[in-house]
Amino acid sequence: MESPPLRADLFDPAALATLGHIEVVARWIVDGFLSGLHRSPRKGFSVEFADFRPYQPGDDLRYVDWKIAARADRWVVKQYEEETNLRATLVLDVSRSMEWRSSAALLTKRSYAEQLVAALSLLLLRQRDAVGLIRFDDAVRTSVPPRARTTQWRRLVAALGEQAGGRASDLAAALEQAARLVTRRGMVLLVTDLLVDPPSVMTALRGLRAAGHDVLVFHIMDPAERDFTLSGEAQFIDPESALAVPAAAADVRAAYRETVTEVVAEWRAAFAAMGAGYELVLTDQPYTMPLRRAFDVRQRRP
Amino acid sequence: MSFLAPLYLLLGAAAAIPLLLHLLRRNVTTRVDFPAARYLQRAEQEHSRSLRLRNLLLMLLRVLLVLALALAAARPFVSALGVGHGPTAVAVVLDNSLSTTAVTGGAPVFARLRDAARSLLLAGTAGDKLWLVTSDGRVRGGTRESLLGELARVTPSEDAGDLPLALRRAAAAVQGSAFPARVVAIATDGQRSAWGTSARADVPVSLLVPAGEPPPNRAVLSVTAEPARWTPRGSVVARIDAADSAGFRVLLGARTLARGAVARGEPVQLRVSPPERGWQALRVELEPDDFVADDARYAAVWLGAPPGVVVDPSAGSFVATAVSALISDGRATTGRDVRIASADAVDALPALLLPPGDPVRLGAANRALARLGVPWRYGAVESAPAIARGARLDGVNVVSRHRLVREGGGVSDTVATAAGEPWIVAGPGYVLLASRIDPAATSLPVRAAFVPWLADMIGLRLGAPAGDVGAPLLARPGAPIRLPAGADALESATGARRSTTGEQMAAPAERGVWFVLRGARRIGAVVVNAPSDESSLARWSAEVLAPRLAGPRARAAGTANRWIGNTFAAGNRRPAVAPLLLLALLLLAAEAIAVRTPRSSAA
Repeated sequence: MESPPLRADLFDPAALATLGHIEVVARWIVDGFLSGLHRSPRKGFSVEFADFRPYQPGDDLRYVDWKIAARADRWVVKQYEEETNLRATLVLDVSRSMEWRSSAALLTKRSYAEQLVAALSLLLLRQRDAVGLIRFDDAVRTSVPPRARTTQWRRLVAALGEQAGGRASDLAAALEQAARLVTRRGMVLLVTDLLVDPPSVMTALRGLRAAGHDVLVFHIMDPAERDFTLSGEAQFIDPESALAVPAAAADVRAAYRETVTEVVAEWRAAFAAMGAGYELVLTDQPYTMPLRRAFDVRQRRP
Repeated sequence: MSFLAPLYLLLGAAAAIPLLLHLLRRNVTTRVDFPAARYLQRAEQEHSRSLRLRNLLLMLLRVLLVLALALAAARPFVSALGVGHGPTAVAVVLDNSLSTTAVTGGAPVFARLRDAARSLLLAGTAGDKLWLVTSDGRVRGGTRESLLGELARVTPSEDAGDLPLALRRAAAAVQGSAFPARVVAIATDGQRSAWGTSARADVPVSLLVPAGEPPPNRAVLSVTAEPARWTPRGSVVARIDAADSAGFRVLLGARTLARGAVARGEPVQLRVSPPERGWQALRVELEPDDFVADDARYAAVWLGAPPGVVVDPSAGSFVATAVSALISDGRATTGRDVRIASADAVDALPALLLPPGDPVRLGAANRALARLGVPWRYGAVESAPAIARGARLDGVNVVSRHRLVREGGGVSDTVATAAGEPWIVAGPGYVLLASRIDPAATSLPVRAAFVPWLADMIGLRLGAPAGDVGAPLLARPGAPIRLPAGADALESATGARRSTTGEQMAAPAERGVWFVLRGARRIGAVVVNAPSDESSLARWSAEVLAPRLAGPRARAAGTANRWIGNTFAAGNRRPAVAPLLLLALLLLAAEAIAVRTPRSSAA
């Protein structure tokens, strides 16, 4: 019997990123995450047999071919042709603000988000869902339509590696593009730092929700953006808008934290009001929590 | 508040740093990328009032912190709260000089000074170290009670004293103590002539000069008998200091010689030929005023017939001519009381002895000196030019002289020196010169001072009875004096006697004339007067005198209570370093709390 895979989804993201390419790391994360579920994430098994594949922890024992196990002393499960029952679109913010990190010991928000998007894509593809990708900054930079093909994973990974030259975030345009790509009811996973103007975003999201899409927003945030752990006195510059705010970190830290708490609460309330999910994700957190949240949303779908 | 290291106060300028940082915050040049700047902006907008208050509070705390540290570095001393004072070393300088007997406000200044000193001693505690120093420089130490006893025995001095010396000794006394608070407390009338420019102390000084102006004063500044021996004719010259004309009286012994009035600035001159003989006391007195101590001044004079002088041809023509002049002036007569001759030609004393003109006679001269009992001999001739030093003889050129060789232990004075060696010596009944009175040997006979000098030698040294001193000794009260050989007592004009045990002694503390006795005979006189400067009662005010004595470390007072307060103020001061450091720590803690406190509580 094979030993269960390591729980890479519980590893420190920055440490994990040093171990391999995004594609490899994403497999580790998803394998580790799935091994922790103790049941198969897959749904929609049809009755038409298709193939065997090696047993993986979490597979339903009902599908283990006991005859082969008895004869060859190896465990395999029977696979069946299944229908794709979900079209998911991952919308990734690659604007200038996502390039930031407060410490060399952390990943940039963009690196963290790309790794998360890769893992989410793989997780959904493993469930035979069609997965698409939109990357945007001040314009839509990449648009990969949702597919459930086996080659879709590599296509998505390649798209994640593309450059982005924009400065600001035009999230509304990206969401409109997502609406065009996902014609049937599906799921839209938005990965962004939400350093945008709320009204336009809410308008676009409201359109997606009206079309019957499930929307889950991952609010990516560096720990220093939440706690303002910077020090000294300086002009704090927003790299997207060039907004400059002079402040002494120690003097405004408490007020800043209070404001960020208010902002997060406002976002959470606004998304909740329209039935969208919201998850605050810090870049020093393991990937388990956002994956779990996405998995739960997916599981609620038929 | 005072500081041990005041230069560190300059660190207080660092308080401007948090102030400038606060004011120049908008000009911060450091730029930091921070994508969530919009949240920061929103935080500042929403919490602007509380942030502003908090920033002001932080700035205030930081400024106070820097100031507290700068103050602590300067090692301040502050007056402690509460009553009493800390252990203090106090040397009380009580001015009991003659000028403090002047009466102002119905009482002598000295009484007020002594009362203030008593109050100060009573304000001392068992923890204090106390001294009492009088104007003569005498230092008394001990307990408060013993010093109070000493103070009660202090009386006004008849002399001006030496207040700078008293100040130096008082300063040395307190500096030698290990007490942290040390001060010299001076109670004085502030007399300008007493506090000269040399009075300076490098310890804190607390000064009391009672308020008020000195009284108008008339004074006898000097009394001189001219010449020093009256034969028996002579004159009295007195200088009077008065704002206008003053009545005076001149007494010889108990007898009034003259009485009258003298105009301002005019000297009193009185020519007399009294019948008294021997040593007599002269006294010139004025009508009493509020400072009676200088209303009388004393002198002494010897009265008698002029001495008979015989001049031997071996003495030379210059001596013969000078003696003729003295005889014609009545200051000498022709007789055999005094001989003036070459030593080899003299067979009896008193005599003014000269070296023989012929070197061959030198041995005979020395034999004659031995026979006469003169403890000097003529030695080899010294031809190196020299300058003489001595009364009336300064600057006289000496071209040729014999070395004078001391032989025997008789009494002798050196009247003049040449090249540091005895040139003219004198003793009972003789005056011995080492050079001939000849322009070829010395310039003395052609100097204007020659005849007066010769008159002094004949009248004061040789014409007086054997063993008698020619001129009175002038001294300040208590000053060291040297009595003539054989003196065994001093007698005042009132008949009071004081025995002497040696030639060196201190002059009597009481002013007046004291006759030097050998047995029952008066052989001289000691005239004790206070210095004439003491008659000048002009004062420094406390505010003017204090900085002259100790610069910024001096404190001035016009009343006893304030003087006492100033004196023990140093003991009231405590080092404030520890409280300031504690304050700095508290400010630091408050700053840390203010930095970490959430908005609601900071506001």
